[in-house]
Amino acid sequence: MKPLFPILPLLLLAPVSLHAAGLKPVNVLHERHRALLKENCEACHGSEKQKGKFRVDDLSLALNDLQTAERWQKILDAINSGEMPPPEEKKQPGKQEKADFLDDLAHVMVAARRTLSDQHGNIAMRRLNQREYKNTLRVLLGADVDVSELPSDTDAARFDTVGTGLFMSGNQVEQYESIAMKALEEAFALRAAAGVQKKFRYEVEETNQKFKETVDAELEKHERACRWVKAVEEAAGKPENAEIVAELRKNSKNDSVFRRSWKNIPGAPAPEEFGFTTTENSTDQANRAFARGPSVFAYQMRYLEQPALDTGAYLTIQDQDGGSNSALFVSIPGDFPPGDYVIRVRAGVTPQATPERRFLDFGFKGRSRPVTSVHEVTGTLESPSVIEIPFHRTWLHRDQNAYRLYVREKGTADTNEQIKQKLDQGKKLNGVAPDFAIWVDWIEIERIPETEAETPPGIRALSIALDDKTPAPKLPELRAALERFAIEAFRGSKPTDRYMDRLVRLYEESRAEGTRHSIALKETLSVVLASPKFLYRAEPSPGEGRRKLQGNEIATRLSYFLWGTPPDATLRALGEGGELLQPAVLAEQTDRLINDPRSLEFVKAFSRQWLNLDRLDFFQFSAELYPKFDFGTKWAARQEVYETLAYFLRENASIRELLKADYVVINGVLANYYGIEGVQGDAFRKVPLPAASPRGGLLGMAAVLAMGSNGEHTSPVERGAWVLRKVLNEPPPPAPANVPALTRLAGKVLTTRERVSAHQEDAQCASCHRKIDPIGFGLENFDAVGLWRTEDSFQARDNDGKPVPNAKKTWVIDPAGTFHRGPAFRDFNEMRDVVASRTDAFARGITSCLIEYGLGRPCGFSDEDLVESIVQRAKKQNFGLREFLHALVQSEAFQSK
Amino acid sequence: MNTNLSRRHFLRSGSSLIALPFLESLGFRRFASAAKATANPKRLIFMGLGWGLTTETWFPDPKQPGADYEIPKGLEPLARHKADFTVLQGLTHRFVNAGHQGSTFWLTGANQFAVSGKSFHNTISADQVAAEHFGLQTRFTSLQLDCGTYAGNSGHGPGLSLAWDASGKPIAGHKTPVEAFHRLFSGENTSLEKRKALLKRRHSVLDTVLEDAHDLQRGLGKDDTAKLGEYLDGIRDIETRLSKDEQWLEVPRPKAPITEPKPGLAGYQEIKLMYDIMVAALQTDSTRVLGYRQPVDTLLTSLDIKVAPHDMSHYHSTMAEKLDASQRRDTANSELLAGLLDKLKATKETDGSCLLDHTTIAYGTNTRTEHNGDNCPTLLAGHGAGLKMGQNLVLPKGTPLCNAWLSLLKGSGVPVERHGDSTGVLKELLA
Repeated sequence: MKPLFPILPLLLLAPVSLHAAGLKPVNVLHERHRALLKENCEACHGSEKQKGKFRVDDLSLALNDLQTAERWQKILDAINSGEMPPPEEKKQPGKQEKADFLDDLAHVMVAARRTLSDQHGNIAMRRLNQREYKNTLRVLLGADVDVSELPSDTDAARFDTVGTGLFMSGNQVEQYESIAMKALEEAFALRAAAGVQKKFRYEVEETNQKFKETVDAELEKHERACRWVKAVEEAAGKPENAEIVAELRKNSKNDSVFRRSWKNIPGAPAPEEFGFTTTENSTDQANRAFARGPSVFAYQMRYLEQPALDTGAYLTIQDQDGGSNSALFVSIPGDFPPGDYVIRVRAGVTPQATPERRFLDFGFKGRSRPVTSVHEVTGTLESPSVIEIPFHRTWLHRDQNAYRLYVREKGTADTNEQIKQKLDQGKKLNGVAPDFAIWVDWIEIERIPETEAETPPGIRALSIALDDKTPAPKLPELRAALERFAIEAFRGSKPTDRYMDRLVRLYEESRAEGTRHSIALKETLSVVLASPKFLYRAEPSPGEGRRKLQGNEIATRLSYFLWGTPPDATLRALGEGGELLQPAVLAEQTDRLINDPRSLEFVKAFSRQWLNLDRLDFFQFSAELYPKFDFGTKWAARQEVYETLAYFLRENASIRELLKADYVVINGVLANYYGIEGVQGDAFRKVPLPAASPRGGLLGMAAVLAMGSNGEHTSPVERGAWVLRKVLNEPPPPAPANVPALTRLAGKVLTTRERVSAHQEDAQCASCHRKIDPIGFGLENFDAVGLWRTEDSFQARDNDGKPVPNAKKTWVIDPAGTFHRGPAFRDFNEMRDVVASRTDAFARGITSCLIEYGLGRPCGFSDEDLVESIVQRAKKQNFGLREFLHALVQSEAFQSK
Repeated sequence: MNTNLSRRHFLRSGSSLIALPFLESLGFRRFASAAKATANPKRLIFMGLGWGLTTETWFPDPKQPGADYEIPKGLEPLARHKADFTVLQGLTHRFVNAGHQGSTFWLTGANQFAVSGKSFHNTISADQVAAEHFGLQTRFTSLQLDCGTYAGNSGHGPGLSLAWDASGKPIAGHKTPVEAFHRLFSGENTSLEKRKALLKRRHSVLDTVLEDAHDLQRGLGKDDTAKLGEYLDGIRDIETRLSKDEQWLEVPRPKAPITEPKPGLAGYQEIKLMYDIMVAALQTDSTRVLGYRQPVDTLLTSLDIKVAPHDMSHYHSTMAEKLDASQRRDTANSELLAGLLDKLKATKETDGSCLLDHTTIAYGTNTRTEHNGDNCPTLLAGHGAGLKMGQNLVLPKGTPLCNAWLSLLKGSGVPVERHGDSTGVLKELLA
């Protein structure tokens, strides 16, 4: 066997001297804090007395080892919780002094933890994380499978690429095998269907007929019910029945209940005579039909009066009373194979459609499921346009609920609350029923045939019969096929002969038991896809020091960094040939990967974790308070973050413009939401902003602002902390445990600012909140869903959650504030200017996140030089986002193990 | 060449941590048959609540210690079981400072920062300590159940269930009642012959992937070898399980005492179903150790509560609807727990005693409310560990929570002398 890893000259990296770089780690407390301890603690915890066996006088101010750190942690906890100094003690430190002490100690503690957990550049061997594993199967086999049963890998570490946080268990090994089996089934099915083109068009006017039949039937029923009621009343009106009827009426709370006793009224006919024939509750049916007259069906009748019903149908809002066309459903025909599809919707807006009613929600699995994407209807009733929605149909879509897709008007069926709201609003507008905004001509489903070039590499590597139509391949041929597949799956690494022996034996054993070739083959391949060389990105390094990566290893790192997938053929060839070791070639390939649409994987995975976008899903945004921020808008708001970063990467725009810009990258949905004119269609593009707009940059994005709320109210604390963490690179220390809660303000009618400012009364809270809160106040002109406002209000509620009468307050927002240690700002614009002036800090923050994400290990203090060199290089190129990636890829750290 | 021998040899040389148990010599068969003979084995259930609870209305009044205390509002649904549970006050994990991690260290008591050069460290959880002891005798060593959605949203913190293995790695749990039900009761449609062949095949598959691991390992440095060790540990676990499966091969799966759950339930109904499954697992003696990381976010949704889970845990700042949500959550949780206790009482053993007589439930979380890790809410129920029930046990502030775990383990017959940062058993709990 060829040695897996040729002996390389080991490149021992000189340990970086932090002192030489002038970047001393800050895990040393300033000498001035001694005084506080001396005055307030040492009487009980000093050399004389050691209450609780704890003393502080001999504590080192440098937190250089775990024991010292633990002792300081104890002090931090005790002061934060108010336990120390004992509250009954007369002598207490001054508020300012205590806040400064806690502030410094908390930061030093974070620094110490970082220093002590520093991996010193050591990259733990990486397992493919959930996301990369899915992508890798997709690239290798062309199959898109559900991997949600695997651990999400996002909990333990900051980024899902960090090797130390990627665990493995026996359970998981078996999951890999079973998921691989599903992926192979899909891949084989795809192969069998390669080249199949299928198209199905659903003419939606069919629904109108059903619509009409329902309404007609209901009205006809109503008419019969009217006749029955009339006949009962006639019988009741007869003088000889007066006594009985009077008694019955007395005991009935209304006419409907009265009619239930028709049997007691001589001469009253049975509802069955009027066609209401059920086995148990015919009377109730008749009563119900009587109550449902034409006024109940006003919406439906109006629908049937609309033009163009012979060629298409309108989307309605879901009406509980009389049926509706609130979503158009299409099922993918059962004989359509998995593969690449395109859905086309030909639609137009009506003259009544207001600007916000031009959008379609698209999704699977029926009405109440999440919105997959949102689309703008740019055509009109007279001149409809066609919307194209590409998607990949997997075998998952065999599930009955998953092959049903829908289109509906955006924001009309997210929640029951919203449906009612839209219905009521529409009725209020014209007195009858909501106007019809979108007309659909047809919906088309097309399966796109694959070309030969698109055969996935794993399948191509096999190049033997995958089905049982021809005789199964002979063993040598099979062994060669399995080996080619394994090399492909192992990203170029060759399996041992013994491994191949065992693999072939697995196949043989299966066959000997009577298993068909196609199944035995899939079972065998699934073992390859549960083997360590597939699951781990190994970079063998038996020696103690670091070594330079080989070309193929760099290819793999680069590809997983920018695409989240194994390298393609081009990159692998350059890696294996060693060309990739030349900086120019590496830079060229980096550019190629960034320019490829597949780099969207990097943009999404990185920014989701960097900016903590998952928080957007933590809350249900109140439809009552924020009707505009519906599911579709939320989807688009999240896309804005991704699309903006994709734009920055593509255009190498300066990250300065993420802090402040005179443009946004939006589409029609968001233009409508932000109130920007002249933007139509689904494509996100650069749009210049009107002079007075508060948008432009992260701080003006709906998604970012909405994350700083709880779905109902803004949270200046959450927002301020986010800005410190993500923008200013001054992350506040983790919220301390056991701080006494601020309870005395509960139930009081206060402005948000008054309530939040109470944080600054106690030194424990002030130590962080004096930095956090002012920034949050500066953002208060954005409401919980990121729309501009000038006023806010508070309604007090009792402990059952009910509003307290006369306990509401409305106020004009005061966005002014002062950064801790200055400067002051009057409003959002001025605050944003201050933030924008701190590009260097922002650049450092992004860089450390890129290092962590790209290298798969935490960015420690020993990385200060690396951070600095990347920032300096990018700075020379006006902080272009792409420069950061280039600088990282070209760094020694990226190219060594 | 003897495959098994070489595998063991390899596993032992592969990673310092690995020593494959010689199953035969451990007397698996003896245990398997002994299981039937053992009357009324001890059982343990651990249930983690994530985002704490309402301090003011869940804890009994600390001024009424002992048996004669008034049931607080949050525990009202449990009133009928007052003699069967004890509430412990004053327990804490001294190393845990993280307010958003109700479950990560709850059963371990580990110090996240204990190891230089690592930002995360954990140790074995109490349930797994018990599983090591009880697990040999049942089909499943232990069973982990988990909340279906993103666990961070329920305040559990990092982890894949409540359980952490002997090397401090998270153990995954079943995320839905359907999944758990099938794990316990499904599968034996195939003939014995076929199942034997299948087991043989599993061994062959493991041999194959181990061959690859062996090859990969040749070039690895120390740290990467440790990382690959996780894979090898995983294979070892499967081997252990397979060997156990072999012992259980001819023992038919128990008939499920409950019907197959319907998919798609979330929140309150889902928790109820999970409880039914736990009872069924104990009733059939499929396992004796269970853990459940309960959902909080979907529980709120199912109660039609609009307040976000984390926000609810900060009810102090506004009280009002957040307090209301927090209290309704407590009531719902207590109702569910009361239902579980009902079922454990109603399920009789052959000698006429009930399951609850031989089971102990540990119920609580590492986060009291907000970011508070002091006075971790802890409720023990059942008589399996011989601990004193029916008490409002007010302990000195700062008593290690691990002392409760140690008491529970020792009381259940697990031979341990310490757990986590324990300093000893809680004498007050000993009846």
